[in-house]
Amino acid sequence: MYSYIVRRLGFGALTVIGVSLIVFMVLRILPGDPLVAIFGPEGFTKLSEADRAGYMAQLGLSDPLVVQYLHWMRDIAEGSLGRSFFRSESVAEMVSRRGPLTAEIALISVVLSWLVGIPVAIVSALRPNTLGDNISRFISILFLAVPGFWLGMLIVLASLFWFGYRAPLAGASLLENPWANLQIVIGPAVVLGMGQAAYIARMARSSLLEVIREDYVRTARAKGLNGRMVVRLHALPNALLPVITLSGILLGFVLAGSIPVERAFGTPGLGYAMFTAVSERDVFVMQNLVFLYACVFVVLNILVDVTIAWVDPRIRYR
Amino acid sequence: MTIAEPEVLYPIEEVPPKIEASRWRRFAGALKTFARRSPFSAFWGCVAAGILLVAIAAPVLAPYEPLKSDFRHMTKPPEAPHYFGTDQIGRDTLSRVIYGSRASLAVAIGAVLFGTTLGAVWGLASGYFGGRFDLISQRIIEFLQSFPDLILAMAIAMALGAGFGTVIVAIAITRIPFGGRVIRAVVLSVKEMSYVEAARGLGASHLRMMARHILPQCIAPYLILATAHLGVAIVIEASLGFLGVGIPPPTPTWGNMLADSLNAGLVPPWWLVLFPGCAITITVLAFNLLGDGIRDFLDPRLRSAIRQ
Repeated sequence: MYSYIVRRLGFGALTVIGVSLIVFMVLRILPGDPLVAIFGPEGFTKLSEADRAGYMAQLGLSDPLVVQYLHWMRDIAEGSLGRSFFRSESVAEMVSRRGPLTAEIALISVVLSWLVGIPVAIVSALRPNTLGDNISRFISILFLAVPGFWLGMLIVLASLFWFGYRAPLAGASLLENPWANLQIVIGPAVVLGMGQAAYIARMARSSLLEVIREDYVRTARAKGLNGRMVVRLHALPNALLPVITLSGILLGFVLAGSIPVERAFGTPGLGYAMFTAVSERDVFVMQNLVFLYACVFVVLNILVDVTIAWVDPRIRYR
Repeated sequence: MTIAEPEVLYPIEEVPPKIEASRWRRFAGALKTFARRSPFSAFWGCVAAGILLVAIAAPVLAPYEPLKSDFRHMTKPPEAPHYFGTDQIGRDTLSRVIYGSRASLAVAIGAVLFGTTLGAVWGLASGYFGGRFDLISQRIIEFLQSFPDLILAMAIAMALGAGFGTVIVAIAITRIPFGGRVIRAVVLSVKEMSYVEAARGLGASHLRMMARHILPQCIAPYLILATAHLGVAIVIEASLGFLGVGIPPPTPTWGNMLADSLNAGLVPPWWLVLFPGCAITITVLAFNLLGDGIRDFLDPRLRSAIRQ
């Protein structure tokens, strides 16, 4: 087990380095002048050559690329993650201020997706190809196709239209003002949770159908256990293994999906910060946030793998 | 959003005996079998084809010019001359939704053709040659897969600057790892088959082996992958448009229209939100269900696992 974890961590570290190289390459080396991003195409043409050189030097962009990369690594190691072009706040401060909200949204949405997805899958798999099964399958297929941010816009619109209600726009922390915090978080969490629930219901259904046909489930039934107990004690634990993996991957995608969803709800989370960075073309903030999201994704994958290895001895001893 | 499908090794088909029927007739026959076996997917396949037709025939179908403002009808709810209403500068929403299908489909098809194909070729080469090339390729693909695809697409689109081509490139790059992994897995299993061995024994060149003997086995999984990813690509394109890094306005795309509606006032008018979103949902639904149908049709083993 330990050697497995160590090996997994080793690969994870390698991946993080690779990811940082890709982020750096995409945002710094690809064509597209950061000064154009800051001043806009018109402002850029008005700058003189000397001005351009001066700004480039000031931003540390005229150093050799290797030096720039090392500087970035130094910023990360220091924990400040660099600065925004437009705000005095460092990226690290921004993350610590806005991150918790997004993390809350992601976690609540995962819990919701399990609460909705698994029961639907059980009902579906116990009576395959009946009317109920077909309806629940079509609904989950539908939710796979509905873009989360659009659903979010509809929810905001509907609650304004019918109830004249709008979630508070200012950030509120969980500890100081739990009620306001819940109002902010619940909308995006429900939207993202439904999207995941659809995937989870689909995966859990097919994996339950597979497990139910196995010999040991037939044995359990043959020894007189009632259907509910067979599912709960014997079939479900094995059927949930792939669902755990899926849920981990989905959590990573939720972080990405929360960017447009937070924009739709106007939630002041990290996703909204990412949207702001993109629309302001703030390369430094973008670079650090993309790197951060990718790191979270990598760590989540490691956690999922280790969890699976911990729950499932077949993988541990391979 | 794409989820890693469980990695299945696709069953290897027998080399079909030479049939004298023309290629076209064989294709029509396959279509007929497909429609008979899964009428549901066939129906959604027709919907997808219909959307494609709408995109092609947009100038004929759209009642108004998508970019022309009518200042006498601004922010009007759906009624007689403008069936889907008009936006804040008096552009007809129905025409914009119809024209929006062009951008969506062109980007999705372009990105999948470019990205999945590049990934597939890469996977073919890395699976076939193995060794150090394969090892490095696997690592690079793993790095690319460590980004949630929307975030990678956002970063690339932002770095390259907004535009039609850059959106295609940005989405295509996020499709590469999927093509690479699936096709590599197929190639690894096909490579060991005895007919490939035999071809090697006869002294076939690497290129000939890949093109004549291994490539045909990759076509079914490639088709499954490509159709499945069309829907994903459409959602990513819409999200990019919504976040303002997609195809730049005033080009009507569904994502741009949704983003525009947020600027239409404190409360976005419902018709500006409802119709473009419905268009996205129906299109994605059609391509997803068509993809599912194609997968079941081309891959009977998966079918039994999922359908019982």
